[in-house]
Amino acid sequence: MQTIAELDPPDLPVETPEFAENPHRFFRDARKKHPWLARSSIGLLIHEYTAIRELLGQDEKFLPAYEGIVEVMGAHGTPWGRFTEEQLISLPTEKHRLLRNTFAAKFTPRYANQLRPMMRARIGLLLDEWAPKGKIDFEEFASYFPISNMFTLVGAPVEDVPAVQESLETLGLALAMDKTKLPQINAAFLRVEDLVRRLISQRRSDPERGKRDDLLDLLVTIADKGEVAERQLIDLIIFFFIAGYDTSKNVLTYTMWALLDRPEVYQRCAVDYQYCGRVVEEALRYFNPGSVPRITAQDIVYRDVLLPQGTMVWFNVNIAGRDPDVFDDPDTFDPDRRVTPNQRHVAFSLGKHMCLGQHIARAQLQEGLHQISQRMRNPHLAGKFGWRPYPGTWGLKGLPIEFTPAAAAETVEA
Amino acid sequence: MVRITFIEANGTTHVVDARLGSSVMLAATENRVPGIVAECGGNCACGTCCVYVEQRWREKAGEPSDMEGATMEIRDDPTPGRRLSCQMDVTKDLDGLIVRIPDSQF
Repeated sequence: MQTIAELDPPDLPVETPEFAENPHRFFRDARKKHPWLARSSIGLLIHEYTAIRELLGQDEKFLPAYEGIVEVMGAHGTPWGRFTEEQLISLPTEKHRLLRNTFAAKFTPRYANQLRPMMRARIGLLLDEWAPKGKIDFEEFASYFPISNMFTLVGAPVEDVPAVQESLETLGLALAMDKTKLPQINAAFLRVEDLVRRLISQRRSDPERGKRDDLLDLLVTIADKGEVAERQLIDLIIFFFIAGYDTSKNVLTYTMWALLDRPEVYQRCAVDYQYCGRVVEEALRYFNPGSVPRITAQDIVYRDVLLPQGTMVWFNVNIAGRDPDVFDDPDTFDPDRRVTPNQRHVAFSLGKHMCLGQHIARAQLQEGLHQISQRMRNPHLAGKFGWRPYPGTWGLKGLPIEFTPAAAAETVEA
Repeated sequence: MVRITFIEANGTTHVVDARLGSSVMLAATENRVPGIVAECGGNCACGTCCVYVEQRWREKAGEPSDMEGATMEIRDDPTPGRRLSCQMDVTKDLDGLIVRIPDSQF
C-alpha cells in the first residue's frame, strides 16, 4: 500500500488562468504519471472516470467538504461562511434525507416536464428581446434563462431577477476559493438574503398563500409548522437560487461554443426536438462546470493507495467525460455516440447528493437549445472570450457571437 | 435470504440471493448484475434502476408510489410492471421474484 507522499502524484495548477483555459491538456499529462490521482493547492484531484464512478457514490466514505472550503477562505463567522457550512448538502445524514425528501417532489422528471411550457414561454420572451440584435454576448443572454426558471419554480417574480443577478454571479465564483473576493461574496450573499426575506414575508401576507402549490408555498408551510427553522428556510431558497444560476447557464454557453463548429448538429436542433435531448446529454459529457468537493470520513484504500481520514479530495466530474480510456474519440462532440451504462456521464454527481435539479436542468437545456437554434441562425464567433476559474463553477466568460435572426420554426413536439 | 432472478434485455439470466430488508436495486448492484445503473444510490432521484416485474409477481411487488411514478417519467416507457428497483424492499413475499432489465436506463 502506498501513501500519498510515497506516490507523489502530479501537481496541477488548478488556480491558474492557463488551467481554466484548457484543463484537458494538464490532465492528459497528469495521466501519464498517474492514472487517476493528482494533487493541487486545494486538495487531491480524482479525475479518472472509472475511479469517480467507483468512489463518488460511496456516501458513507466521502462527506461533503464545504466546511473545509470555508476554512480555506477564512470565512468562518461571516454570512457566506455560515451559509456554506449549514446549507442543505452539509447537513447531517438524517436531517439531509428528511429535508430533501420534503421537497423532492418539486424536482422530479414529472414536475420538470410540467414546467416545460413555462420554460418555453420564458426562452421565447428572451429570444424576442435578444434575437433581433444579431450580435450578442451569448453568455449574458443565457444568464437570464435558468435563473428565471428557478425563480418561477420557487414562486418568486422574475422581475426580481436583475436585482440579484450580479450578486448570484459573485456567489457563483465563491468556490473558486479566491480569498480576496470574500468581502464581495459576503455583500452579495446579504443582497440575495434580503430578497429572499422579502419574498417569504410577501408570501406570508399573500391571501393566495397555500393555494399556489409552488416551492415557496411548500417551504413556508413546513417552516410555519416548525419542521424547518426560519434560518433554514431562508438558506434553502438562497441555495436554490445559487445552484440554479450559473450551472445550466455555463453548460448552455459552452454547448453553443461547441456547436459553432458543428453547424449540422446545430441546424438539426432547430427542427428535431427529441434530438436536442441527445445533444444535451452529449453536452454534459463534453463539458460540465463542477468539481465535487469531499472529505474522507475514514481511511480509504483504493487501488492500493491510502487516502487518510480527513483528506480533502475533489472529484473532477467536469472533465471525466473526456477520459480516453472510456470514451472513443473523447474530444469529438457526437450526440449520436452510443452510451453504455459504463459510459454514462457523471455531470450531476452520484449518490445521495446527486444534483437535485438534474431533471429541471435537462428540461431547460433541451427547451432552450431547440428555440435558440431556430431564432439564432448560422451563429459564428464574433470576438474574444475568457474563462471562469476552474475550481468552483467553471466555464466560458463571455461568448460574443453574430448570427442571422429568424422567426421560430413550426415544429412537432413530442 | 430471498432469491431474485434478473433477466437482461439480451436474455442473460442472473439468479442472486438478496438480503431481507435490502432493496431489489442493491441485490442487483451488490451482485454486479449489469444494466442497473442506480446513479443516486437508492434515493428515488435518478430513475436509472428501472426493472419490469414479471406479470405473476406484480401483485406481490406492489404499485409504484407517487414519488416513484414521478421519477419514472424520466423516460416515456409504457411497459407494464415497470418499477424502480431501489423502491422495492426485499421481503419474504418476494422470494422467487423475477424481473427484467430494460436495454437502456437512459
